[in-house]
Amino acid sequence: SPSLGRRRREAAAAEEEEIDETPQEKKLRLAKQYLEELRQYGESRPAAGEGVLLGYCHACPAHIPLSLQVQLPDPASIRVLRGHQLPVTCLVISPDDRFIFSASKDGTIIKCKWEVESGKRLCVVPGGKKGTEEQNMGHASHILCMAISSDGKYLATGDRNKLIMIWDAATCKRLHIFTGHHDAVSGLSFRKGTHQLYSASHDRSVKVWDVAENAYVETLFGHQDVITGLDSLSRECCVTAGGRDGTVRLWKIPEESQLVFYGHQGSIDCIQLINEEHMVSGADDGSVALWGLTKKKPLALARQAHGMQDSQGLQEPYWISAVAPLRNSDLVATGSHSASVKLWKCSEGFRKLEPLWDIPLVGFVNSLKFSSAGDFLVAGVGQEHRLGRWWRIKKAKNSVCIIPLRQRAAAPSLEAPNGS
Amino acid sequence: DQSEMSFEELLRVQSDTRTRVCKQVTSGKKTAKPTKATVKQQQDKKGPLEMSSKKRVPFLRRVVAVTKKVHRDPRFDDLSGEYNPEIFMKTYSFLDSIKKQEKEMIQKQLKKCRDTEQKEKLQQLLNRMTQQEQAQKKQQERRERELSLKRQQRELAKQGKKPFFLKKSEKRKLELAEKYTELKRSGKLESFLSKKRKRNAIKDKRRLPSQKDW
Repeated sequence: SPSLGRRRREAAAAEEEEIDETPQEKKLRLAKQYLEELRQYGESRPAAGEGVLLGYCHACPAHIPLSLQVQLPDPASIRVLRGHQLPVTCLVISPDDRFIFSASKDGTIIKCKWEVESGKRLCVVPGGKKGTEEQNMGHASHILCMAISSDGKYLATGDRNKLIMIWDAATCKRLHIFTGHHDAVSGLSFRKGTHQLYSASHDRSVKVWDVAENAYVETLFGHQDVITGLDSLSRECCVTAGGRDGTVRLWKIPEESQLVFYGHQGSIDCIQLINEEHMVSGADDGSVALWGLTKKKPLALARQAHGMQDSQGLQEPYWISAVAPLRNSDLVATGSHSASVKLWKCSEGFRKLEPLWDIPLVGFVNSLKFSSAGDFLVAGVGQEHRLGRWWRIKKAKNSVCIIPLRQRAAAPSLEAPNGS
Repeated sequence: DQSEMSFEELLRVQSDTRTRVCKQVTSGKKTAKPTKATVKQQQDKKGPLEMSSKKRVPFLRRVVAVTKKVHRDPRFDDLSGEYNPEIFMKTYSFLDSIKKQEKEMIQKQLKKCRDTEQKEKLQQLLNRMTQQEQAQKKQQERRERELSLKRQQRELAKQGKKPFFLKKSEKRKLELAEKYTELKRSGKLESFLSKKRKRNAIKDKRRLPSQKDW
């Protein structure tokens, strides 16, 4: 596959405008264009997709304090969708909230519709056993991460065989395989509004790919241990969790630099962006941390978030295996194997993390995702942790659980957008 | 809408939405000098570390910082300052008592010792120590002599007479004279002179033409 080097990209950009500009100059030019459009269209913003906003719109959308409107769901209303043989490791919800894609340790990917009561399975891509890569169309090892593009077109999955497979989300046909990583691929994320894919791997590097052109773009270095999670929003930045090196890094790709944050003890296992300025991460010492971009230490830290467990006679905190924020609001869900999913509220401008509700759910919660409207929480549950087999909970069922979050009748009042 | 708002309100909304940089660029004049330096410093302390993302990281991770030992020679180190013999003697005068004690210890050991090899070694050590002491004393005397000469000259200068400075050869003559008086007093003059004659004779013999040259 042809590799698009940075020089070629910049040359392509330079062909459009003759001046070669730095990322800051580009931001300034886009900002001026945006204001021009504001003046032309008056107070109403141009719809997303028109003009400049596609590349520039990271002015924060409304921060909705949804946590006040969420109520404890009824345990009976939790829907359990079964179908995976081995523990579910990751899942994604399509941007239009119609489909859920889930993947498990046996290499299968299942796409299902979830409006229907039964949770009809639309597509199953079976996984193969070790050594059947050529024959099989699917993965032959544990799938560790998944990502879906914001237009719902491409699905990307990464597994322990160092491969990233690109699927067409509508038909579940495999389009391309990206090779290049030297170890298991542990984090994938599309940049919102584009077809740029970021991947993180156990070989401590972050790679940037262009899915539309099936091309590799560049590699970023800096982590000193295995990367356990990756996330990105609409900026050309991604954030990664570094496992045992105890750092969370924000990668500024056009400027070719990284910001290093630290403050967790224990291995950082999962990370998600709440909005363009804040992120939440969970570690295996049970702590959940909220980060802001201006401070190197976490803004808020909740220690032993899921309590203590008694493993082989020692008191150990429950490892946090998944975190999920509701984007652009103050609601965060964390999952572990403590038989519950906890909901938290970020208060005082993300400086405090307060526990809200506990949703009972037995098993290892390997993945959590909120629907884009915030009315459902989907959890991928398994009998084992997604990264290894330290414990096995026999009572649990390898399934995808859909938890409806009942919202109170009052419509949320949108605050004025605080532009960044 | 925009058409309904007055010009004032429009300007206010615009200035609120614009960033400072945008205002600078569009207005064309420079605003008040931004306090970028101080803000950056604060950020450096509290903010996250920014580094390049293109440098490859070595496979082995540095977990504990191991510092290299810095070797410094105090003789050539600027930190030690200039060598001043008087100050040096004063500050390290406590070592004289320690040296004495050590000498006594070695003498005792020498008495006790039966092994010939070790006895030789100890004897050599003892000789070295005594000779070092004597050398120190000699240096001390030399310094005192210098000081006395200088004092003399200072007095002469004070009295008004012209101070005279001795040549090196004259200084050596004075030293010889002192040595002579010392030896005479202690009674070792004869032995010293005979040794000196012998040494001179050997040296002169070396200068004489040998049989080979014929």
